[in-house]
Amino acid sequence: MRRLFYLVREAWVNMRTNRTTTIVAILTTAFALACVGIFLLLYMNLRNAAGSLQEDVKVMVYLEDRRSSEQVRELERTLKTDRMVDGVLFISKEQALGEFRVQFPSESHLLEGLGENPLPASFVVTLAPSFRSPDAMKAWVERVQTMEGVAKVDYNQEWSSLLAGLIGYIELAAIGVGILLSAAAVTIIGNTTRLALLARQEEIEILRSIGATRTFIRIPYFLEGAVLGACGSALSLGILKFAVELFRQQIQLTGRFSGIEGMISFFPLSVCLALVMAGMGLGFAGSVVSLLRVGDGRA
Amino acid sequence: MDAIIQLIHVSKWHDRRAALSDVTFEIEKGEFVLLMGASGAGKSTLLRMLIAEEQPDEGQIFVHGKNVTKLRPSEIPYLRRKVGAVFQDFRLLPKKSVFDNVALPLIVQGASEKDIRRKVTEALRAVDVDHKNDQLPSSLSTGEQQRVCIARSIVNGPVVLLADEPTGNLDPERTREIIELFKLINARGTTVVVATHDPHVLKYVNRRVITLVHGVLLAEHRVGEGVGG
Repeated sequence: MRRLFYLVREAWVNMRTNRTTTIVAILTTAFALACVGIFLLLYMNLRNAAGSLQEDVKVMVYLEDRRSSEQVRELERTLKTDRMVDGVLFISKEQALGEFRVQFPSESHLLEGLGENPLPASFVVTLAPSFRSPDAMKAWVERVQTMEGVAKVDYNQEWSSLLAGLIGYIELAAIGVGILLSAAAVTIIGNTTRLALLARQEEIEILRSIGATRTFIRIPYFLEGAVLGACGSALSLGILKFAVELFRQQIQLTGRFSGIEGMISFFPLSVCLALVMAGMGLGFAGSVVSLLRVGDGRA
Repeated sequence: MDAIIQLIHVSKWHDRRAALSDVTFEIEKGEFVLLMGASGAGKSTLLRMLIAEEQPDEGQIFVHGKNVTKLRPSEIPYLRRKVGAVFQDFRLLPKKSVFDNVALPLIVQGASEKDIRRKVTEALRAVDVDHKNDQLPSSLSTGEQQRVCIARSIVNGPVVLLADEPTGNLDPERTREIIELFKLINARGTTVVVATHDPHVLKYVNRRVITLVHGVLLAEHRVGEGVGG
């Protein structure tokens, strides 16, 4: 117990003795992790947005005119038994005309001159969630397009692909920036540990001479690195939370993009805790790297 | 009697200069030995090798039955727990109290709170600085600092106590007191090896003396018995 207390106190003394270095290390680590956090937030929010928008993605299967009701029912059966399909809704020619009149009342006179109802009957198809990716949707549409009685299949392919592409790029950027800035955080904390080691060289020599093991000597520095990393990470989350709230407020104030503020979310508590743990891990890694570099002679 | 320290044809070079040259001797369990020699004679090198801070270039060293030259790095701390060391510059931690400095070897070993309190109090009482428990080393005299250093070296009951120029910073009266303290520790069964260049120390000791000159073991004798090879 006394040993544990000693090790924790030594880590605390290390940080207090090198106060300026400790503060600089926490701030720079927080800045580096906040940069990574921006990409993570962007990625998370876009994925959430894409997810909720994809739930609304409907594929319109327009039917050829002059199809018998038996043929239409056959096609409906085929669609409903398709494993990629979640739901099928039939819209008759008459229903389509009615909806057109409701949605575009000022243009409804345009159809009256044509005599016969020109709008086709259609199926509104909702695909199963696991088949809502652009590639899966495209493959399904190409397959349905060749079915007998189908005039045209329509869905907003460009939008869907664009969003998926954007998410992919942000994911890549988040990984790249994450690796780069995590390495920076490891280096910053490593250098802080190194400075602490050099400052306490004499003390380390004394500990070695009285029979302290290498692990015993190193533990306070490992703890210091982990605490610096956790503090840096927690601070970066604070900065990001502040930035997100400020952004929401600005949107509300300017009135532009109103409604979008409700869609912007911050990391859930579990992710926050995971990020603090990750920061702790980075700090620990920084100390390990530093101690390995300094070598056996010192600690 | 059993040899607790054994050096067999030990040689060590520092920058092509022989710090120790073919040194062979034994120290029995419970002995009090003075290691005499001028600065640069190889005394400190020899003591550092006994606690594996340095390795010989040739020869074998045994301490408490262990071949120090063949110890793995992970075994060295455990050797040092059996061999207490006292230094000329005391090597006390300036920001820790006297009590905490002396407690350090016990903390390192994971001793219980109760044991730490009891053993530290005993060690401080043995060197007569128990009344300075809470003070920082900087507030003590040099003689008291050396006593604290000795208390730290004996607190975990080492089998051997090595002292490198322990009286180098002390006046003759404090020197006598410190040597008396070593004799007391020796009387309790701990083997004591004191390295010194100060011939005045001989006045207070009637024990075995090993003399080194330029890394060569020149003579072994008992004070008052004349010089032998």
